[in-house]
Amino acid sequence: MPAKTCSVTRTVTELKHTIDAGRLQNPRSRRIAEEILQLLNDIAWGRAGDRHIPAIASLADELAYDEADAAAMETAAYLHDAVDHNREVFVSHIKTHNCSTGDCVKLAPAPCQMTCPAGLDIPTYVTLIGMGRDAEAIDVIRRDCPFPWVCGLVCTRPCEFMCVRARIDTPISIKFLKGFAAERAMSEGSYRNPEKAPDKGQKVCVIGAGPGGMSAAYYLILKGYGVRVIEQHPTAGGMLLLGIPRYRLPREIIDREVAMLTDLGVEFRFNTRFGQDATLADLKGEGFDAFFFAIGAHQAFKLGIPGEEGCPQVLEAIAFLRRVALGDRTVPGKTVVVIGGGNVAIDAARTCLRLGCREVTLAYRRARTEMPADREEVEQAEEEGIRFAFLTIPIEVAKNNGGIDGLRCLRAELVKMEGQDRKYPKPIEGSEFLLAADVVISAIGQKVDNTCMTEVNGLDWTRRNTIQVNTATMETSRAGVFAAGDAVTGPATVIEAIGGGKRAAESIDRYLSGIPQPSMPRVPVRRGRIDWLEVPASTKMTLKRPDMPLLNLDRRRTTFQQVELGYPENAVREEARRCLRCDICLRCGKCVEICRDKMGVNALQMGYFDFDHPVKTDFRITAERCIACGACAANCPTGAMRMEDRGHERVLSLCGTILNRQKLLTCEDCGAVLGPARYIEFVRKRTKTVARAAGARALCDACSRHASAKITTDNLPSQSK
Amino acid sequence: MSKYYLFQDTKKCIGCHTCTIQCKSHKNLPVGPRISQIIAVGPKFVGGLPRASYVFMPCFHCEDPWCVAACPTGAMQKRAKDGIVFIDFDLCVGCKACITSCPWGAPQWNPETGKAVKCDYCMDRVDQGLKPACVTVCTTHCLDFGKVEDTTRIRRERHAQAVAALDQNA
Repeated sequence: MPAKTCSVTRTVTELKHTIDAGRLQNPRSRRIAEEILQLLNDIAWGRAGDRHIPAIASLADELAYDEADAAAMETAAYLHDAVDHNREVFVSHIKTHNCSTGDCVKLAPAPCQMTCPAGLDIPTYVTLIGMGRDAEAIDVIRRDCPFPWVCGLVCTRPCEFMCVRARIDTPISIKFLKGFAAERAMSEGSYRNPEKAPDKGQKVCVIGAGPGGMSAAYYLILKGYGVRVIEQHPTAGGMLLLGIPRYRLPREIIDREVAMLTDLGVEFRFNTRFGQDATLADLKGEGFDAFFFAIGAHQAFKLGIPGEEGCPQVLEAIAFLRRVALGDRTVPGKTVVVIGGGNVAIDAARTCLRLGCREVTLAYRRARTEMPADREEVEQAEEEGIRFAFLTIPIEVAKNNGGIDGLRCLRAELVKMEGQDRKYPKPIEGSEFLLAADVVISAIGQKVDNTCMTEVNGLDWTRRNTIQVNTATMETSRAGVFAAGDAVTGPATVIEAIGGGKRAAESIDRYLSGIPQPSMPRVPVRRGRIDWLEVPASTKMTLKRPDMPLLNLDRRRTTFQQVELGYPENAVREEARRCLRCDICLRCGKCVEICRDKMGVNALQMGYFDFDHPVKTDFRITAERCIACGACAANCPTGAMRMEDRGHERVLSLCGTILNRQKLLTCEDCGAVLGPARYIEFVRKRTKTVARAAGARALCDACSRHASAKITTDNLPSQSK
Repeated sequence: MSKYYLFQDTKKCIGCHTCTIQCKSHKNLPVGPRISQIIAVGPKFVGGLPRASYVFMPCFHCEDPWCVAACPTGAMQKRAKDGIVFIDFDLCVGCKACITSCPWGAPQWNPETGKAVKCDYCMDRVDQGLKPACVTVCTTHCLDFGKVEDTTRIRRERHAQAVAALDQNA
């Protein structure tokens, strides 16, 4: 449960108030309190180490030395209390360099990172990619996700939906940047595994070689555990391989990234079904200390309509895709209807087309805007010639002798249901029609196939028939048994499975080392604090998200070649320069407010900061109006807005976006910097009414002080001779 | 001008800078700003002897302060009851317009707060009936603070004495 206010900030504010109010009268107490405040600030600013919390505790003891000093005793007690009760939050600040509430402004995490189910440090690796440091970017990504290349092609990219840049134009193409960096690093040979920790002599068994299972395996082996992954299919990948078609994710990419795990020493046992070829008792007998279940959700939901049961012309999409993935390329039929509106439905439809089906129709009971499938996927499917039948509810499989005529359907209309966001498709009476087909493929969702789990006693299951876990730690109701991935969430995304696997690895490590489990969900870790890329304002505004080059349509209809061809290198580097670095600028709007309301200059047009004052964002306007007074930079709590003098220029920048450059004027006497002409003019205009007309020399404050001191001495009445 | 006058007897001042230090300490200023400071003029040879003069320069609290006119936020103000020019820190945004406009260099930059800071005759002390911090510690008692009409008397008397001495010699 994320707290509303941050306990670190609260402690800092409270202690600062105590000191400022002068409540600590004893100078010794005040000095100790100031030292504690400094340590607390270190934590709030992300520069604290492991010894900060013990140091605060021992300083607090020192503070409580003199019982006569009531204020000191009280402050010490408060500090002990604050640290003890919120130890997890304090430790999280030190370890992750992120403050989940954003109260500790320097540690307010970027929205993209907070949204990512695996908590990837997106601003850091996007910037590294922009610098051309692909291998380092891959190292940063792999600290949170072992499969950057796979994710770079198939991630559902929740990060891009949160991307702040979308409020200006379009989100940063985070997914493809990652895919590019992985491909480049792999081809250069700089895609390397990190160092393994020394062997701990304990073994973990992972059930299921999908993204969740393999992520847990990766982080466990890095921590020094022996890991065996058992998998019922003949190859690794899970849904990556069996669910996602090859035109989206070539097999070589899965193989190369899985090979990185084999390289580390992860042992794979294929064609081994848990509960059948390997039982829990067998594995326990072999000395496995913990178990991680990532068995996925491979069982399709039934349509539940007449004619479906036992009909060989009604296929389950997930079984169909698995069959094709494992090499069977038989054409299912001439005319196919796919039922469903998710990514699996689209995948099944496009796969049919590539296998040689003449006509493929996708029947969905809601409208296009309601489709859960990726918009790009839908568009590409449409380009390839998939037909869509929206607002169509199947009611019966129309059979003829031996085959089927098609699918009998009803038209639907969308109605608003009380208390529900999503509109409900209500069948229209008497609208029945036949959707002709010789094969029907249902893709209306999957559930966990729990037949293999009967042996694992004492496991709690949810109402949706998924494994019940503590979502912060992925612990199941049985000690030493952990679970994640689709088996826990129901059919979900690759990145959620990866995040779950990573969390599970961490708590398996704690379980095996006897460390208590965290009670809060993990805050994503800031993996670096790297400087920004410097970009002129006009470039920042005019760079556009590149279009993805696609394979030509004829090949897309006939082969399983990869459809998205990837960006060329220069497009990738340029795209990274569009990033607004929300890990540094937290968009508090102080700069805009001061420039507009206090200074009356209104040079900052950052509409994306603020929904209350919707102006159009344009970084270029700043150069036209800004007087370079620096009030915005002086009040920026995070240092995102920066004003500095470089040579003969004063430069204002926001996270590296150069907003203004002004030539500097200097003092006539000593050469000290006076400021840009536009700024001096601003001050001169304001003082026009009281100041004497110009003609005064341009002097710096030190020189004018000297000049006036000299006038004073020169004009003194003559001293006694 | 404010109704107060901070008088420095340059004849007595030895340039020990105690006033400057006390001022910084009282205002809790970091390295950088010295809002009341001693400016040394010279040394130069006067009649074959090296002579230096030390001029104490806080803020003059002008009648029509340029800094008040320059301030776009209304942070720089002239107190109506006694004419002390001071900064309301809650309003200051750190644009440095006051620093740029002042011909005497009275307002200065406080890098720690990101705001300007200037001599306000220790308003808080004056309101309690005390003298400004700098005045209280002056080693040679060359600084004096009070109403304008009282503090100029020393200079007037000394001038009169000088004139009178000249008279006797004539």
